[in-house]
Amino acid sequence: MRDDDIIVLKEPELTPAERLYLPQILDGLKTTLRHMFDLQRRHAVVHQYPEQTREDTGELRTANYHGVHRLNKDPDGRVACVACFMCSTACPAHCIHIEAGESPWPDREKYPVQFDIDELRCIYCGLCEEACPVDAIELTPLYELVSCTREELILDKEKLLQIYEETKGIKPRRNPPVTDYGLTGTQGLDVAEPNMKRKV
Amino acid sequence: MTDPTIKRIETVLRKPAVIFGAGAAILLLVTALLALAFPLYKPLLSSQFSFSMIVLAVMLVLILSATALCILFERKIAGFTQDRYGPNRVGFWGLLQPVADGLKFLLKEDIIPRHVDKPLFLLAPALALAASLLGFAIIPWAGQVRWPWMPPDAPPLSTQVANLNVGFLYLLAVGSLSVYGVVLAGYASNNKYAFYGGMRAAAQMISYELPLGLGLLVVLLVSGTLQLDQIVQQQAATGVWNIFLHPIAFFLVLVSALAEANRAPFDLPEAEQELVGGYHTEYSAMKFAMFFLGEYAHMITSSALIVALFFGGWHFWGLPGPENVTWWAMLIKLAVYLTKVALFIALFMLVRWTLPRFRFDQLMRVAWQSLVPIGVALLAATAALTYLGWQRNVWASLAANLLLLAVLLRSAARSKRPVTARQEDLPEIDVRPTT
Amino acid sequence: MPKIIIDGHTIECRSGIPVLQAALEAGLAVPHYCYHPGLSVVASCRLCLMEMKMPNPKTGQMDWAPKLFPSCQTPVRDGLEVRFRSDPVRENQQHVMEYYLLNHPLDCPVCDKAGECYLQDYTEANGPATSRMVEDKTKNPKKDIGPHTLLYQDRCVLCSRCVRFCDEIAGTGELAVVGRGSRCEIDVLPGQPLENPLQGNVVDLCPVGALLDKGFLFKQRVWLLRSARSVSPADSRGQTIWIDYNEAGIHRIRPRYNEKINEWWISDEARFGWKHVHRPDRLRQPRIRQGVALQPARWEELPGLLRAPFAGVAACASPAGPGGGARLAQPPSLLGRGQGEGQGIGPLAAVLSPMLTCEEAWLLAKLARSLAPQATLVLGHVPVSGHDQTYPNGFTIKAEKCPNRRGVETILQHLGGPTASFQEFLAQAVEGRFRAAYVTGGYPDAWVTDPVAAALARIPFLVVHDLFPSALDGAAAVQIPGAAWTEREGTFMNCDGLLQPFERALPPLEGVKADGQFFYELLGQPGLFRAQTVRETMAAELPQFSEVFIPRDLPKRAH
Ligand code: SF4
Ligand code: SF4
Ligand code: SF4
Ligand code: FES
Repeated sequence: MRDDDIIVLKEPELTPAERLYLPQILDGLKTTLRHMFDLQRRHAVVHQYPEQTREDTGELRTANYHGVHRLNKDPDGRVACVACFMCSTACPAHCIHIEAGESPWPDREKYPVQFDIDELRCIYCGLCEEACPVDAIELTPLYELVSCTREELILDKEKLLQIYEETKGIKPRRNPPVTDYGLTGTQGLDVAEPNMKRKV
Repeated sequence: MTDPTIKRIETVLRKPAVIFGAGAAILLLVTALLALAFPLYKPLLSSQFSFSMIVLAVMLVLILSATALCILFERKIAGFTQDRYGPNRVGFWGLLQPVADGLKFLLKEDIIPRHVDKPLFLLAPALALAASLLGFAIIPWAGQVRWPWMPPDAPPLSTQVANLNVGFLYLLAVGSLSVYGVVLAGYASNNKYAFYGGMRAAAQMISYELPLGLGLLVVLLVSGTLQLDQIVQQQAATGVWNIFLHPIAFFLVLVSALAEANRAPFDLPEAEQELVGGYHTEYSAMKFAMFFLGEYAHMITSSALIVALFFGGWHFWGLPGPENVTWWAMLIKLAVYLTKVALFIALFMLVRWTLPRFRFDQLMRVAWQSLVPIGVALLAATAALTYLGWQRNVWASLAANLLLLAVLLRSAARSKRPVTARQEDLPEIDVRPTT
Repeated sequence: MPKIIIDGHTIECRSGIPVLQAALEAGLAVPHYCYHPGLSVVASCRLCLMEMKMPNPKTGQMDWAPKLFPSCQTPVRDGLEVRFRSDPVRENQQHVMEYYLLNHPLDCPVCDKAGECYLQDYTEANGPATSRMVEDKTKNPKKDIGPHTLLYQDRCVLCSRCVRFCDEIAGTGELAVVGRGSRCEIDVLPGQPLENPLQGNVVDLCPVGALLDKGFLFKQRVWLLRSARSVSPADSRGQTIWIDYNEAGIHRIRPRYNEKINEWWISDEARFGWKHVHRPDRLRQPRIRQGVALQPARWEELPGLLRAPFAGVAACASPAGPGGGARLAQPPSLLGRGQGEGQGIGPLAAVLSPMLTCEEAWLLAKLARSLAPQATLVLGHVPVSGHDQTYPNGFTIKAEKCPNRRGVETILQHLGGPTASFQEFLAQAVEGRFRAAYVTGGYPDAWVTDPVAAALARIPFLVVHDLFPSALDGAAAVQIPGAAWTEREGTFMNCDGLLQPFERALPPLEGVKADGQFFYELLGQPGLFRAQTVRETMAAELPQFSEVFIPRDLPKRAH
């Protein structure tokens, strides 16, 4: 960004009437009143949940709704997360707790031994999803998040993977960016054999 | 998911016929009981003292249920202004929501944190509610009444709980008492947010007491009496409401009343964005509800007061005037009065859902730099008018008001900053230490 | 001091350094891999190239040379003119970066170096966002090259820093570059793993994530760590270190540049010498002997509980028995008549461990002397193992494995009065000369041998201030949990008398009080213990403590 990109705005001069603040109040009241009596708009906008849901009206944007998280699986059915901590670094609510470890698979380095998200702390901003280099963490369209205790809403790795199984029908995993880890799986390169083996 | 029985009850309660039927039935029942018991309390109705007691009881019940309804009303208005429905689940049109809320408040766990000053902590909500209810005592609800069975030359009864000679002063005294509950709550909670809330409330109260007093003084000069029922009667007799004489004074009183009731845009003591919950952060269950009720009761008192002072109380042109003291005229007057109060409450609520909250420095500046000088100027003008004997002359008063408005506009134009100017717009103060 | 001109700005620099070093010290972000100020210069990475003014052989005039020169290999000389922010230089950097990225895997997400990796930084600054290479990248699996170190060969940029370190600093030469061209790689000879006592430095040296520490592997991301300036207690040389920690505890220790002692390196002892801080069996609560067993006590009652018996013991030369210590198993009146007064040795001893900081030792010594002017001050057990080891470039690992013997000795010498070495103290204790003793430990390893335990068991009122349970538990009347050096602040005086301060990294373990703070309270001082304040009062009496040595920070973006 250069200096000439910065636009300096001057606060607009107020007229004497504006300075009295009263006309603005009346203006505001007018707006509120207008909305109060706008029945049509109200009927159009409001959904009578739970009788009527957004799924029913087809208004739920499954692709980008910010609901409960899930942890995606790679084509081999293993957790896709590579435990890079990007999501927990990005998370403004500090609600992701990861413990990384050496993966049990020969073609992968690192994987999350533990992966907990405190759904009650989460503000559903989606920054974790943005941060993930392998698109392993995603927010699903599930919004009915209820439980009897707080502890139940600290979702662990198993639960998050299970949510993936439940929601992959309505929201398939995005194509991960091309890193060696997104495309893992035995159909990838056999890296156990050193050096020079290449795909043709 | 839900229990089918509960579901069935819910559905039944949502039918308008059920709600209104039940309401009508209860009303009928009460009327029938009252009619049956008429011989029992007929003598009570004829003496001023016992009649006042009855008024007290009836109005107390009315107002307490009205506060509950007010909450529903507020939520409805909030919903409507935001293109929503508001509560509409419990009973038809959400009419039973207050009942549900009340039940919820009663059943919630009543937490008394370990670190609070317990006696004061318990006292504060009661005080907040009681202080707001005290003001009702001097509201002249429906003028005067003479029952048919009373001798025609008997003095008519006043429908006021207490017709105080010093009505005004009582109002001022009691009105400022309501902040006491808030400050106590803030202090007793032993919590920084609550404490800030309490301190804000105290500062706010002190600041807005002044414009309120000045506005009231203007009315006092105009009417020449401290008694509220006489002020109303004056307006009714001449047919000229005080608002026509002194719109600026009305504005002063309205703003100050909002501030004293801690209503938006002056709800800084409980500003949840900054102070969690302000003075009631530590309160739960019924104690919290009492603050809530207190706020609404305060709002109703303020509305009733403004109606009496500026809007002719129970008077409306073409309806029975002060000379008509029959019982049906009393009922009509009461209805007029309550309607006006309801309209005011609606205005209060609309304002709340329209205006954003002031910042604290703006709040202070509005009071000290705008309202107080205006009030003083207005008071001087009214004093001059009174000296000339024109205090109830509409044209003279309006001219004075207009003149003042012109002066205001002029000074606003010259000061080049809105009443809500930012701190950094203010001229810098030299803070060099003196040697 | 020669002056050189970089991009038209005249820079004054130390003589004898390369242009690259001068530029780095002037704050320029010059990319470089192979240059390291502590190693020989090979100029193989070609990232640091700059334009230079040379005499034109045709005209004999100074002119910009048509080709770029490695700034790491050009020593500064007065009047030298170079260009760094110019198009040819930038182009060179871009091309070289593209070359480095040809085979480098895209595994920053799983690489522990991410966040402090030179390749990452340079790529962000100069590198191409895409690769033009259509072939597959070379894959090269990780290799286990030593007990502590892993080599991720495909991340290596072949700067040969690690090889030069093993050759020049450690002198062991385990690592070598083998193969040629695109098969060129770093390796160890079969059967000769990388395990010299300095090997951990290659992990810090490596500009990319090719060499990684097994202990730190996958534990944390570096940007989640905070660093505290500290001094290693591993040996008496006082190697300066960074402690990298976060709320979960310490994660690793890195060398902190110190021109007087350890330069850019630290020994593995210092590097891995923090594990005891997180040992689960650390003492976490003060305990007092009641009957046979040690019972938990509260910190608040300790000062009263300790001062009274100590004062009593000190005063018991007089026939009246000392008072206080009601909760103690042995009422001080039972402590009996002393035998030591005759020799001028007090019946009270304070054992100042060389693991204490100077400030703590001072406070404790003062405390003992304030309770009993004849209290014996003892320099605690000094652990020694093997001999001093000196490496080809002069790096030395001391045999003495404690940080502050010299500091404690200085204080003892200054205070005078009855003092004793640890051996003398043990001998006297066996004779039953002492009726009360305050013994400080704080060693990372077990230090209480059987003779020590037997001797100390003869002391009736024994206060043990230590990190771990030991054989002394049975003899102690009061057991006080100590804080590890990462949880305290203060100064260590190294074997050459150099006074170096260090910061606190972690808060003391829950239930534990920092030693200095506790001594402060025992002395009845109000407020918080601050090493700096205590040091200032010490300096009034002992000028050695008026000045501390803080090494200068390295220029940013340079190792
Ligand atoms: S949605 Fe936002 S707050 Fe929630 S876990 Fe992701 S980054 Fe954190
Ligand atoms: S950002 Fe993605 S890959 Fe990295 S730890 Fe989070 S979920 Fe796993
Ligand atoms: S392993 Fe690291 S230090 Fe050694 S040559 Fe490769 S990049 Fe350089
Ligand atoms: S060539 Fe100069 S630093 Fe590598």
